Amino acid sequence: MAGLHKSEIQNPVLNWIDTRLPLITLMQKEYGSFPTPKNFNYFWNFGALATINLMVMIATGVFLAMNYDPSATGAFDSIQRIMRDVNYGWLLRYIHMNGATMFFAIIYIHIFRGMYYGSYKAPRELLWITGVFLFLLLMATAFLGYVLPWGQMSYWGATVITNLFSAVPLVGNWIVTLLWGGFSVADPTLNRFFALHYLLPFVITGVVFLHVVALHITGSNNPLGIDVKSEQDTVPFHPYYTAKDSVGMCVYFLIFACFVFFAPNYFGEPDNFIQANPLQTPAAIVPEWYFLPYYAILRAVPDKLMGVALMFSSILVWFILPWLDTSPVRSARFRPIYRAMMVVLVADMFLLGAVGAHHPMGIWILLGRVGTAWYFLHFCALPFIGYLEKPLPLPESISNPVLRDYQGPGGSGGGPLPAGAAAKPMEKP
Amino acid sequence: MSSTAVPVHQEAEFQGTTRRDFLTLLALAGAGVGVAAVAWPFIDSLEPAADTLAAGEPLDVDVSKIAPGQQIVVMWRGKPIFLVHRTPQAIKTLQSPKLLSILSDPNSHVAQQPTYAQNWHRSILPEFAVMVGICTHLGCVPGFFPNPSPTDPAPNWPGGYLCPCHGSKYDLAGRVYLGVPAPYNLPVPPYRVMSPTMLRIGENPEGSDFDLNSVVQI
Amino acid sequence: MRALSITACLGLALTGAAPALAQEADVAKPPPVNWSFSGPFGTFDRAALQRGWQVYNEVCSGCHSMKYMSYRNLAGIGLTPAQIKAVAASKTVPGAPDDSGQPTTRPALPSDRFVSPFPNPEAAKAALGAVPPDQSLLELARPDGANYIHALVGLGYVDPPKGVKVPDGFYYNKYFPVKLIKMPPPLSDGSVTYADGTKATVEQEARDVVTFLTYVANPDMEQRKHLGIRVVGFLVLLTGVTYMVKKRIWSDVHGHHDDGHHGDGQTHA
Repeated sequence: MAGLHKSEIQNPVLNWIDTRLPLITLMQKEYGSFPTPKNFNYFWNFGALATINLMVMIATGVFLAMNYDPSATGAFDSIQRIMRDVNYGWLLRYIHMNGATMFFAIIYIHIFRGMYYGSYKAPRELLWITGVFLFLLLMATAFLGYVLPWGQMSYWGATVITNLFSAVPLVGNWIVTLLWGGFSVADPTLNRFFALHYLLPFVITGVVFLHVVALHITGSNNPLGIDVKSEQDTVPFHPYYTAKDSVGMCVYFLIFACFVFFAPNYFGEPDNFIQANPLQTPAAIVPEWYFLPYYAILRAVPDKLMGVALMFSSILVWFILPWLDTSPVRSARFRPIYRAMMVVLVADMFLLGAVGAHHPMGIWILLGRVGTAWYFLHFCALPFIGYLEKPLPLPESISNPVLRDYQGPGGSGGGPLPAGAAAKPMEKP
Repeated sequence: MSSTAVPVHQEAEFQGTTRRDFLTLLALAGAGVGVAAVAWPFIDSLEPAADTLAAGEPLDVDVSKIAPGQQIVVMWRGKPIFLVHRTPQAIKTLQSPKLLSILSDPNSHVAQQPTYAQNWHRSILPEFAVMVGICTHLGCVPGFFPNPSPTDPAPNWPGGYLCPCHGSKYDLAGRVYLGVPAPYNLPVPPYRVMSPTMLRIGENPEGSDFDLNSVVQI
Repeated sequence: MRALSITACLGLALTGAAPALAQEADVAKPPPVNWSFSGPFGTFDRAALQRGWQVYNEVCSGCHSMKYMSYRNLAGIGLTPAQIKAVAASKTVPGAPDDSGQPTTRPALPSDRFVSPFPNPEAAKAALGAVPPDQSLLELARPDGANYIHALVGLGYVDPPKGVKVPDGFYYNKYFPVKLIKMPPPLSDGSVTYADGTKATVEQEARDVVTFLTYVANPDMEQRKHLGIRVVGFLVLLTGVTYMVKKRIWSDVHGHHDDGHHGDGQTHA
């Protein structure tokens, strides 16, 4: 019996199972007693919400796939059949459609949390990088999914985005042909997009697993950005964060339900209720709201290849964020310049979103270029900001909010950073 | 600053008040109700959709075109339905002792038909047979051989059905022979006579209640 | 965090204002109508639905298809099974080929889809000069669909402004985005004689047909809103209960926000 796990479960049947496949012990360790910083704010809820949303999307997606016809002639009709004839088909579809919007809203807030509080810094670089990879997978899944109803926007959005790949030097046209499976977006394209749209969420699930493993090795960051010093700084995940996450989940479902039941087409495009017509381009080809900023960056420069390169770079730059940002302080709470930059970055994303929604004419061209320039300036500036910025004094620990070397009002304040305030390469939780 | 010996949050767990347990129970119960409520639409979406149900509505068939001794086959709810215009000779043969002696269930005791078809001709009108054309052995469609013959398709053939897959035999009322693989008579679907020339497959006559799914073997 | 909230609000306002900025200066905005189906508690006025069906059936269906509707769906506007059978039987659909393989026709059944006026878009274009859009999803396929369609057919056919020349085959409609529309005014006073005796003015007909079109595009609406009220109500209650449980569980944790200490080095006075 050497090597068998020694389970501490009382119940004999569960003990037998747990000895051979210690899932119960694992769950107790990773989600039961797992020491979690006690000072999380609600921003820390969003990772769990994203996981719930992923499960909702897979569940509704599988049931929708039972009735969906992935052919150019049948797709639009099959969706009408789902909406009109399948019991609760309208509900499954509206949940899936609005679930995509919820997913991106959650992820953008989740990413903001990471950027603002320095969760990407050592030792959490791979946690961050798996996260960026997940974001790319999510964008691919959403793009593929939007093509499936085979409406006007589905077809023309697919045409525009697949055509982008022709900008790749040497192999660009070959890539486009492989994506299309023919001479244009058509039946073969739809079929392979359906297969990939069904596949990618399971790839996402696998990478989420890696993402969570990475998190559990390093332990969570917290709003102060300083390391956990002792058990005093933590609470067991259950019941504290199971309870808190439940509140967040209820609010998430509440917002989700308001859209699904009372404004299900709020984020949709009217043109997508018209069946795809290869001979008629809609007046305005617009992607869904969550892609608008990147669409703006794509159209900011007149050159096709540069536009594509800038658009992909705008996400790819996130991969090197842990090394771009040189500041030893994690949380923006103690970084006045970085904090101001984050505010501007968020405003910039909204600006770029507005630009993406408009035709590239008049003032929108200038705004698009200014917004794109600032976006990249933000990341290029980070290495310098880290050295130039004077951070605010950090607290001693999470439990002990008294400042070290605090010299009272009017005093010079600050001093050498307390141990653990700065990002260290590897620290035991 | 040193911490107190026992972390405060652990102390709290040893206190129990009824109000605390009630709230938690309420929250968990609410979550349970929520999960069940969410599961229901998924399960219900697996039921036949409205258009499928509509396509399975009763089917009106004009039987005046069927010549005596001939059969037509119509599809209803995905199943082949045999409609046979039996000749007076064939009707007589249905009652012959010689035939009855080689049948497995000559009096249709096994519930393979509605009560209004539980008679010696297994139908409402003796001249029209209405049966589900699916062999009760393993589901093949039996072949129609209405004419009596000493040799063809089998010795001393009185007229009826021969299933090509494993050789099961039925008479022109769908009653199964003894000693063949098929265990039961061919099922009779719900139907009613709208007029001498029109049968409606899939609807029971007034006052009757019969569901095809209630038979022993379709 | 304050600066961030303000920025977020400004950003949302900017994106919200975007559609308004994107419009041409001279596109007439359709006047909002107080529809019975608006809002979270909205329902379809059954009488209006049936009048609207009458307008579609007697006027619009001459040119416009509605291919995602089946006759059995008319149960949703309140027609009885007998009425539905009669409506269906009055239409002719292709039947199964006869014994020599020739096409046949038969009266429609409730399970059949609505009959289209033309077999394909090319025939429509040849007959009319343009393809009339299918009306099954029209209310969703136009921004602010209900108000727009009502304005287009009920209010929009006015005399062109001075100096605007209307070419042959076109009509001036002030709510149509490019003003010149190929559809002649489809409605006039008394186009239909309503079965329930309501006076059939153009505006009344427009209102009723839009109610019907909104139903056709959103047959789930009433069930959806009804279920939505229960779901949102349940979730509001559940949020309240879970929040109380959370507060109770967290009440004994020092260093958490609510016990007077801030986590960022400042203590309350």
